[in-house]
Amino acid sequence: MFRNTREGLALALPAAIFSTLLFILPVGILLSEAFRQGGSWSVQGYIDFFASPLNRTVFLRTLKLGVLVAGSAAIIGYAAAFCIVNLSPKARGRVFGMVVLPLMISPVARTYAWIVILGRTGIVNEAITGLGLSDTPIRLLFTETAVYLGLLQLFLPLMIISLVSAMENIPRDVIPAARVLGASWFAVFFKVILPLTKEGLVIGGTLVFTGALTAYITPAILGGSKVLMLETLLYQRVNVSNDFVSAGVIAMILIVMSFTANLLLKRIATTRS
Amino acid sequence: MSDAFVELKNLTLSYDNSVAVPALDLAINEGELITLLGPSGCGKTTTMRAIAGLLSPTSGIIHIDGRDVTRVPANKRGIGLVFQSYALFPHLNAFENVAFGLRLQKLPDADIRSRTAEGLETVGLAGFDKRRPSEMSGGQQQRLALARSLVMRPKVLLLDEPLSNLDARLRLEMRTELQRVQKETGVTMVFVTHDQAEALALADRIVLMKAGRIEQLGTPAELYSRPRTAFAADFMGFENIFHTSGDTLVSSFGRLPVGYTAPSALLAWRPDAVTVGTGPHTGTITASSFAGGHREYVLQTPLGPLRADAPIAVAQVPIGQQISFDLPHQNARALAE
Amino acid sequence: MRHLANWSILGLTLLFLIGPFVIIILAGTSAGNNLAFPPEGMSMKWYLKVFTIESFRTSFALSMALAVFGTLAALVMGIPAAYALNRYDLPGAETVRTIVAAPIIVPGIIIGLALLRYMVVPLDVTVTMALFMAHTALVLPYAVRVVSSSMQNLRVDMEEAAVLLGCSRMQAFTKVVLPNIRSGVLAAFILGFVTSFNQVPVSLFLSGPGVRTLPIDMLAYMEITFDPSIAALSALLAFMSLAIVFIAERLLGFSKYV
Repeated sequence: MFRNTREGLALALPAAIFSTLLFILPVGILLSEAFRQGGSWSVQGYIDFFASPLNRTVFLRTLKLGVLVAGSAAIIGYAAAFCIVNLSPKARGRVFGMVVLPLMISPVARTYAWIVILGRTGIVNEAITGLGLSDTPIRLLFTETAVYLGLLQLFLPLMIISLVSAMENIPRDVIPAARVLGASWFAVFFKVILPLTKEGLVIGGTLVFTGALTAYITPAILGGSKVLMLETLLYQRVNVSNDFVSAGVIAMILIVMSFTANLLLKRIATTRS
Repeated sequence: MSDAFVELKNLTLSYDNSVAVPALDLAINEGELITLLGPSGCGKTTTMRAIAGLLSPTSGIIHIDGRDVTRVPANKRGIGLVFQSYALFPHLNAFENVAFGLRLQKLPDADIRSRTAEGLETVGLAGFDKRRPSEMSGGQQQRLALARSLVMRPKVLLLDEPLSNLDARLRLEMRTELQRVQKETGVTMVFVTHDQAEALALADRIVLMKAGRIEQLGTPAELYSRPRTAFAADFMGFENIFHTSGDTLVSSFGRLPVGYTAPSALLAWRPDAVTVGTGPHTGTITASSFAGGHREYVLQTPLGPLRADAPIAVAQVPIGQQISFDLPHQNARALAE
Repeated sequence: MRHLANWSILGLTLLFLIGPFVIIILAGTSAGNNLAFPPEGMSMKWYLKVFTIESFRTSFALSMALAVFGTLAALVMGIPAAYALNRYDLPGAETVRTIVAAPIIVPGIIIGLALLRYMVVPLDVTVTMALFMAHTALVLPYAVRVVSSSMQNLRVDMEEAAVLLGCSRMQAFTKVVLPNIRSGVLAAFILGFVTSFNQVPVSLFLSGPGVRTLPIDMLAYMEITFDPSIAALSALLAFMSLAIVFIAERLLGFSKYV
């Protein structure tokens, strides 16, 4: 049929223009502002930012938690995905549904549950004092561990979903074939499963890492001002000290970190083959 | 104006600035079943899409039933098209698929019902009204697609390789079915195919195309027995085609003096026109297969591989053995360069 | 043996993923005034109290409206865009794709902040309007992606067949394309709705007097009181999401689009 370019553009442009005006433009200005100092271009904002020990700690903590959460999600994700793929189709659908389900539920609700678990009168502390292991409740909230657990619970489903769909594409008889050829389970994982699912790992890894970097609610509720991460720091800088240069710098760092992670993972995936 | 029903004049068609069909002229008579035959990329589908109005020509004119329809949009041309994939509407049942075009014409409900029922019956699908296309077999889907186009009473019905997705047995069945429907309805049909057997069996006339041009146009009998060019001969099963030079046949493998003066630059033989078992030349059998009424041999000869059919009565000769053969000039088809 | 190992790995994973919800549901049934587990006695009072809190009611209404209308607006722009990206050989197709997908890649908090600084403040746009547009932009990538993927399976010649049977191009779209991508559109709507409704970072900076989305309102409430009403509300929201997903799954096998 006659499909001319002008017609196609007319259909695609409203969405593209809307996203540009509402998103690319404002975010672009915000990012560029972090390079402005007294009317001229400069990277002083970045130098100042990293000069502060607190900022450096927050940056490294965000990076560390991001890597830890993504790494843990990968390990648990592989185990869980392997089990899911080996289920009967019916059971697989149900279990997969239960994995997807938490994604549909408000992150506020999901994070709030950890307060009930880790709070002063939460399950863990009740158990500890009840068993007489300690007389006073232990501080579990507002620790890196709490943020780590919260983030892992929040983003693990994304990893499992990516890995399950990657594993479903492994031809049926490849693993038995490797076993027959004498491969140990260890070898099967590293020589067969891992290479065949690395694309899923890249997608899942990027989603989880980026998600952990840019999550706000979890560090805000479970970390508070004691365990700041870049997102919560950004919020503080804007709300408490009206510091938009720092906000722009943090925004840029977050974006750069997400992109680097994605590129790095892709790189690893392609060089291994 | 000629009295042709469909007439393409100087039709030039291009895709993305590359010309697929340069300056085509073709006249189709009313009630005729014409076949556009050729290998993929020869422009047959492009030509068909232009007739349907799905592709607008770079230049040239399309007349249908005495009217210039070159600039008439596809939905106003009154042309039916049966797609290779059938393109049935998966969300509608068989009845609604067939009624689709009639409903657009806002016909009275009773008319829609009777014409749809009639259409389904014509293709042998009476009683299938409520089936979804996904619940039908390939052959039934094919019939449904045919009915959907026929109920519109199109001036011309185009069929794009409609049998290529069917298995061999169904293909034969649908061939006869198509002929029956065409005779019953008298609709002018343009049938696009790359299968020469299909074209020969179905067509009133065959348009053999090559690289956007008409290579040869004629009745199946004409094309079968009197191809004019090497391309046409090859397409019609003349598998042994050789250049000539005086009384010698020439191929890229070598030369073979035949003892008669060739009447044209090229001579061609069907496998069954080659004599095996007797003759002045010898070749080595490199392949042999049983084909029911005859045996198909491939001979290694000074001209390269030669395909020859031997009657089953001739004793089988094992592979590797030498055999004598002849390329008799009275069985040869003389071709233009 | 293998079977047992499989199920214990899955059991632990699911416990980690779903266990917390069981806990908040139960924590919300507490009869006491403090958040604790196991709850101090059983009562439905916190579940009932949630409905009496005025600010929750208004912020719920706002979140609902944003989710419904933002997603509809995203679909109005997203369906034509998805169609164009699938059916036309556009010169800038990759650029369009990247632009439309951008809001997924960039942290939400930055989008909210940027809109606050460069739209709400200088252009005097109301916060509600900014929220609406931000949520639309946020849902747009999902709308385009999900609708695209359901359109990919639809053959082009179906539209051509419709045209040859007398449809105009627009009729071919409404009579043939739309009915066949219906479940994709519905899936996009649900995914968009849930994404928008649960969205926090984008809305963080976009709040004004009396204008707050529900999740932001819950965060604000938590800073003041630590009573079980938030647990009850969280549980109710979880049930709402569950119900939506359950119905969607029953209707159209929703999980294949996530």
